Amino acid sequence: MTQVLDRERIAEWSQQEPQRPWTRKPVHLQVWIALAALLPAVIVALMFTYTDLPGPVLMVVVYLPLQLVASGFAALATKGRQGIADSVIIVNAIGATLFSFIILFSVLGSLIFRGFEALWGDDGFRSSFLVQNNVYINPSTPLEYGGLGHAVIGTLIIVLIASVIAVPIGIATAIYITEVRGRAVPYVRFFVQAMSGVPSIVAGLFILTVLIVSGAIGQSAFAGGLAYAILMLPTVARTAEEVLRLIPEDLRTGALALGSTRARVVLRVVIPAAKTGIITAIILGVARVIGETAPLLLTSLKSDQTVLNPLSDPIAALPTYIFDNVALPYPGAVTRAWGAALVLMIIVLILFTIARILGRDRLNKSR
Amino acid sequence: MSMPRTEVRRDLKSAATSHKGDRVFNRSITAAAFTALVVLAGIAIFLGLSAVEALRTQGLDFLFTTEWSVEQEDPKAGIWGMLYGSVLLSAIGLVIAIPASLLLSVFIVFLAPRRLAKVMTNVVDLMAAIPSVILGLWAFYLLNPPAEEWQFLLNKYLGWIPIFQNESGNFNGTPFIAGFVLAIMMIPIITSVSREVLGRTPPDLINAAEALGCSLWTMLRYVALPYGRGGIVGGIMLGLGRALGETIAIFFVLKLIFETNWYNIIESGGGSVATLIVATFGEVSGPYELNLLLAAGFFLFVGTLVVNVIANLIVQRTGRMQR
Repeated sequence: MTQVLDRERIAEWSQQEPQRPWTRKPVHLQVWIALAALLPAVIVALMFTYTDLPGPVLMVVVYLPLQLVASGFAALATKGRQGIADSVIIVNAIGATLFSFIILFSVLGSLIFRGFEALWGDDGFRSSFLVQNNVYINPSTPLEYGGLGHAVIGTLIIVLIASVIAVPIGIATAIYITEVRGRAVPYVRFFVQAMSGVPSIVAGLFILTVLIVSGAIGQSAFAGGLAYAILMLPTVARTAEEVLRLIPEDLRTGALALGSTRARVVLRVVIPAAKTGIITAIILGVARVIGETAPLLLTSLKSDQTVLNPLSDPIAALPTYIFDNVALPYPGAVTRAWGAALVLMIIVLILFTIARILGRDRLNKSR
Repeated sequence: MSMPRTEVRRDLKSAATSHKGDRVFNRSITAAAFTALVVLAGIAIFLGLSAVEALRTQGLDFLFTTEWSVEQEDPKAGIWGMLYGSVLLSAIGLVIAIPASLLLSVFIVFLAPRRLAKVMTNVVDLMAAIPSVILGLWAFYLLNPPAEEWQFLLNKYLGWIPIFQNESGNFNGTPFIAGFVLAIMMIPIITSVSREVLGRTPPDLINAAEALGCSLWTMLRYVALPYGRGGIVGGIMLGLGRALGETIAIFFVLKLIFETNWYNIIESGGGSVATLIVATFGEVSGPYELNLLLAAGFFLFVGTLVVNVIANLIVQRTGRMQR
């Protein structure tokens, strides 16, 4: 049985030009594309100069719709009806990308710009701002005097306490999941994940009610460190778990075959093999907590002096230093807050960069 | 001569060994692994006791009225406006963050050249690394002033829509700005999850779709988005969990009021449980008020816990499906 094709259909199909998307587009289409790209920009530039609408509003209310329409027409001309939906996605995706770019660079730019006012004065780089403390400083004191040295030390002490508590427990949790592999593994993973969602303020409240309200310890670096440890533990545990998973099973079975006990396998073989990864986990844990403000507001309060005793006295930290200075309605205090914010951001960036570099080494080695 | 068959076959993966050192090691590791459970239970119990106390003295009014006059003889406290405010702010944040992060991850995965995609991945990671106190500082000084003007224009031209009504003429400290800041915090979380699931779409499926003549839109609509749907929803829930618990950034940009701001998102004033705790803690009048704050913290904890658990279950399930 033969199928007879409709002659008209064949004639119609043979008329069609192949699209050949790989060839260069003819000139008139290129003109369309150029027009679609330029026209909305020109119109908006003109509106920006001749009306007093603010830039961001103009971009969202005028430029985006115009560009959508223009790109839609260009897509219709070059790709046909199917192209319109694509052009809508592409224009919006580029818009969303620009949006996140602008937000990030606005934050970083303002940090650098305003932070420099605190760190650089007429007298050059003010190292005093980094090392001095806040005693005898009121909001109208010139920026040459006083600084955030006490807050840096406070942050170091609190983070150190948090690490001493959270790192061993976090790594032990990861070892339980990947090495001991007891019956409760799914539950432990579930609890760790649930714990990673605990809001920082709730961690602060927990320490406040259990230890401070009950009178066990005062508001101090130790209390702050405990609150930080709650936030740090899940990050360390999850990252360390991922890292331990990458250790080849052969190493473990090999060590067991040589007669070592399971504890030795973990302590002498698996952990040394995963050393860089575990350091990465610790760094990510520190980076996770170092900017947290809310728990410290409840547990370690603030101080103007350099406090070294972690057990009894309220202590300052970088995030709370920023928080307190923003609240003061004096430009000097606000500049100090920006300076501290710049210092904090630089610390966070350094931590993330180290973690990234270590992580890259690990990937290269395992390949 | 054959070996006597007395040896016990041991499963290398989960053998409970008879070695004494191993038993100690196993027990201590197992004990440490349950720290997470202990902490979670501790939070639930201690804050829960406060919540019971608050509900006992205030009744259900604690949850369903909006008032905070604790220092009078008959103290009254209700956190409905704060609970509702947290949800409203997160909803505003989601309305901005979901399309932005989906488009951003489509750009990174399907549109951008390899180099640019790498740069954008780093940009997103950097955004996630900004501490909330710094974001709050930035929002207070750099976002708030222009945003007041945007909201003024929004009210002027779209004021007939109920949500854009503003009777006070004050556009400072509105839920809109706070939601916008929350969106900035959620975008990196949602983007990094959805970028990953979209990136895991099997190339064969994409190639097949394109060979069948799918355009980018139809490919996304019928291949990539259905494939990554679970992961994307999970990512959104993770972002939501973060937003509900956010404290400091909102403290800077939201004017806290003890009334329920139902839907006037560009009217000054709103509520948030986490911010209530920080704002009130500084001038807390005594143990009773502190107890009320702990109770508020309990409901915040329960809310974020539920959202996070659901999010993780969804992310996990789709992860297993795709493996």
